[in-house]
Amino acid sequence: MILSYLQIAWRNIVKNKLYSSINIVGLATGIATCLIIMLFVNQELGYDRYNEKADRIVRVTFQGNVQGEKMNESTVMPPVAQTLKADFPEVEAATRIRDYGKPNLIYKDKSFKEDAFAFVDSNFFRVFTLPLIAGNSKTALVEPNTIVITKAFAKKYFGNDDPMGKIINFQDGNFSPFKVTGLIDRVPVNSHFQFEVFASMSGLPEAAKPSWTSSNFYTYLVLPVGYDYKRLETKLSKVVEKYIGPQMQQALGMTMAQFKAGGNRLGLVLQPLTAIHLHADFANDLSPSGDIRYIYIFCAIAIFMLLIACINFINLSTAGASKRAREVGIRKVLGSSKTELVWQFLTESTLITAIALLMAIGFVYLAIPFFNQLASQNLTLNFTENLFLVPGLFLFMLTIGILAGAYPAFFLSSFKPVAVLKGKLTSGNQSVGIRSSLVVFQFLISIILIFSTTVVFNQLSYIQHKKLGYDKEQVIILPAYLLGKNSEIFRQQLQNDPRVSNVSRSGFLPAGPSNNNNFFVSPGNNSTQLIKTLRYDVDENYIPVLGIKILSGRNFFTDFSSDSSGVIINETAARAFGWKNNATGKTLTTSLNKGEKKTYTILGVVKDFHFKSLHERISPLVMVLAPDPGMLIVKLKPGDTGEFLTSLKTKWTKLTAEEPLSYSFLDDRYYRTYESEQKAGQILGIFSGLTIFVACLGLFGLATFTAEQRKKEIGIRKVLGASIAGIVNLISIDFLKLVLVAFIIASPLAWYIMNQWLENFAYRMVISWWLFAWSAAVAMLIALITVSFQAIKAALANPVKSLRTE
Amino acid sequence: MLLQLNKIFKWVNVGGSRTFLLRDINLTVQQGEFISIMGPSGSGKSTLLHIIGMLDDADEGEYVFADQNVFKLKEKQRSQLYKQHIGFVFQAYHLIDELTVYENIETPLIYQDMKGSERKAVVADILDRFGIVGKKDLFPSQLSGGQQQLVGIARALASNPKVILADEPTGNLNSKQGEEIMELFKKLNKEDGVTIIQVTHSEKNASYGSRTIHLLDGRVDQIVNS
Ligand SMILES: Nc1ncnc2c1ncn2[C@@H]1O[C@H](COP(=O)(O)OP(=O)(O)OP(=O)(O)O)[C@@H](O)[C@H]1O
Ligand SMILES: [Mg+2]
Repeated sequence: MILSYLQIAWRNIVKNKLYSSINIVGLATGIATCLIIMLFVNQELGYDRYNEKADRIVRVTFQGNVQGEKMNESTVMPPVAQTLKADFPEVEAATRIRDYGKPNLIYKDKSFKEDAFAFVDSNFFRVFTLPLIAGNSKTALVEPNTIVITKAFAKKYFGNDDPMGKIINFQDGNFSPFKVTGLIDRVPVNSHFQFEVFASMSGLPEAAKPSWTSSNFYTYLVLPVGYDYKRLETKLSKVVEKYIGPQMQQALGMTMAQFKAGGNRLGLVLQPLTAIHLHADFANDLSPSGDIRYIYIFCAIAIFMLLIACINFINLSTAGASKRAREVGIRKVLGSSKTELVWQFLTESTLITAIALLMAIGFVYLAIPFFNQLASQNLTLNFTENLFLVPGLFLFMLTIGILAGAYPAFFLSSFKPVAVLKGKLTSGNQSVGIRSSLVVFQFLISIILIFSTTVVFNQLSYIQHKKLGYDKEQVIILPAYLLGKNSEIFRQQLQNDPRVSNVSRSGFLPAGPSNNNNFFVSPGNNSTQLIKTLRYDVDENYIPVLGIKILSGRNFFTDFSSDSSGVIINETAARAFGWKNNATGKTLTTSLNKGEKKTYTILGVVKDFHFKSLHERISPLVMVLAPDPGMLIVKLKPGDTGEFLTSLKTKWTKLTAEEPLSYSFLDDRYYRTYESEQKAGQILGIFSGLTIFVACLGLFGLATFTAEQRKKEIGIRKVLGASIAGIVNLISIDFLKLVLVAFIIASPLAWYIMNQWLENFAYRMVISWWLFAWSAAVAMLIALITVSFQAIKAALANPVKSLRTE
Repeated sequence: MLLQLNKIFKWVNVGGSRTFLLRDINLTVQQGEFISIMGPSGSGKSTLLHIIGMLDDADEGEYVFADQNVFKLKEKQRSQLYKQHIGFVFQAYHLIDELTVYENIETPLIYQDMKGSERKAVVADILDRFGIVGKKDLFPSQLSGGQQQLVGIARALASNPKVILADEPTGNLNSKQGEEIMELFKKLNKEDGVTIIQVTHSEKNASYGSRTIHLLDGRVDQIVNS
């Protein structure tokens, strides 16, 4: 039976080539999108799950709220790990990571700079599941100056030699040489940390310091099976009071009680390992984190794409019902039961789905490299590695086959044979209402996607054109610390270059990665009013180089030695301190270690500039005169930058033999801050394009049906003198009405969704009416083009011909 | 007695008033009879045939087929009865365009859950009897009208029914083709004892039957035995 069903299904597919292709291409597009998104979501949700103890590991973070300013640090102080292990029996193990960036490492004549290097505690490989191929996971990192490396690292430095026991040197001589004592395959791609070298923490003096005021250590705890980490978390406030309290009193000049009385909070917060990638929002995390919201959005898109493709199938099947009705009638006369017919139609929809699925797998193979590049992912569709995919996809196929086929199957199989055989059944008229609603749904989704894409790109353009309060053009950032003691010579050379307008020395940059320093100050002598600000260490050229506007007071003078105790603040800081236009000359107090205080005088107030990303509000900023010759901010005069860069390279290589020149433009750094939004925008754009494509395929099919069904009517109207435009109008108008209805329903939904998205930005565009108009126009135009193709064809047909066939 | 209709009424309600399609039809058919139904267009011939064929219900009256009260049967039992005993032949042939001649004939057997091997034998036998073995792999569109109707009759006979109901089987054929079909019916009736009830507009075709029932406005006008 099933074989004969398949055979008939196949013949029907071949016979109705146009409709079958519409169904298959639409479903294939939907399934391919869905598959890619499923792979992506699977990877994102699987982050850090490779660890056998994934469900038992938590990370200790430091969070707080000081005078309304949020603090969110993924690192904590060096003694936290040891203290928690000692004080709480439920902490089975504690281990730390100290990220050491990408130092220059040397082996014999080989030197590279791109390997991520971390110091870790000796129990690291027993907490995280990274099996050692060589060496002993228990003892490898016990001794100082030992390292465990990845295979790729070993290959790069030692070729095919056995890496064990080899000696690696630090270029800058900060550390004695390291001996390789262990080898791992690699850190899995879906790990929140990605290092090539793990060095023994016992060789790092900083790790043993009992300091509770500096935090540089990512700290992980292993808890017992089934233990709720929240229980431990509630006990951590005691730790804060017992250990952080006393040292804070020295640092801030107030007791913990006073601090809390001011409405401030500080504390250690636990975070499950598996939540780090998607649910964390820390500025200084080990890897760029994913965003659970994008996971939701993509899942929604995947589901809607599939639904839209299924709707095409439903609509085309019911619209073409009159073609199949005769067959249904005859089969019933020949003794078929309704159930048998339902199965027959389901077989047909499943066969179409199966063909679409094969096509989709092809699409996925073609599209994956492109998607990986666009979304910075590492997805693969690998059947041999993931055997579950085969039954998984089979189930998926059945589900879609039923989803698409169920309604048409019941609809078609319920025809009464008498009615059919008498020719009473004219068309699938009974289902027109349902069909229209489904088309409305398809365009509803399409319009929401068009609108969302438009809003994302508009916000990006808003970001691009936003007046930032500083000038990001023609500014080059140079890491002069790489030149060591030659950096000052380099600066002099730049300062004297006629193409350079000015040079500032500061590692505090308004865009991209920057130094960051929390700075707790009190206005005047009022030590009860503690305000969290950021401290920017700058020089006298910082303000002119970045074109920041001074509202009152003056810039720093270098020759005024007294300026070392002067500060320049931004407008927001002035407001936070409770000052209006009279800030200049007022004082700020901050506590140094050991209870000493230091007083600063306000030299001037600058207009607010966006030194943080536009996601965040501008916060209080205090600039002090403390030039850092390690970072140079170079403002160029208008002119040929290419030529300048060439000469820059010559100058640089004269001063250092080993370090390659690295530089970045401030505007690039700014744009890169919004890379994830840019990517999301592009991906959204592609998905909305695909969705519209599939929806239009369906519309095209329906228009073809209508034209076919009304062939005779059109013929008669033409004979009676109707114009071509009139006839095109006749067919198109009904479809356009549906798009209009879809637009009306879509507008408030789209507005709501995109408003939610925009909430992520402290500074954002306003959604204006023309964005709606634009989305509506795009949807209408696409629908019109799709429909009128068939309408025009029908209108141009020779009426005599279409009437004669009757 | 094969089937019996007692006081059959059928009506439709059009705009509040009741229009009778069939009125007080009483008819008894014996196994092996050859009956023709005649009457002007719209007199209710097809409606009557559909009721006999269990494709349609009457609004009043009783229908006994092979000792079973048809209107009182459950859907399943009725379809069982129908599948086994009734074959339909249409004016417009109503072959399934997507199926070959062979498959068209095979279809009713599939719905009777006949096993594959048995099916093969039955279809082969029928193809042979009708002399259309050479056409078995062709699709309906590749056949002439007469050939299509031949396949239609072959299909109706495949399940070895007690009765064949034919609604103007020759209506779309030229006179020579029509004559061939009628000869075939006569042969089936005489040699195989198949009961035949046909609707026709032609006196000549009607004369093949042993009894002719004339309908007028949904009533039996007269019954003529030949
Ligand atoms: N659903 C219905 N509603 C109203 N009238 C109907 C309906 N079905 C059938 N009729 C009417 O019932 C009458 C009998 O129809 P039927 O098809 O049985 O006629 P017929 O004798 O087979 O005619 P013909 O020789 O043209 O095939 C016709 O007048 C037809 O218009
Ligand atoms: Mg009729």
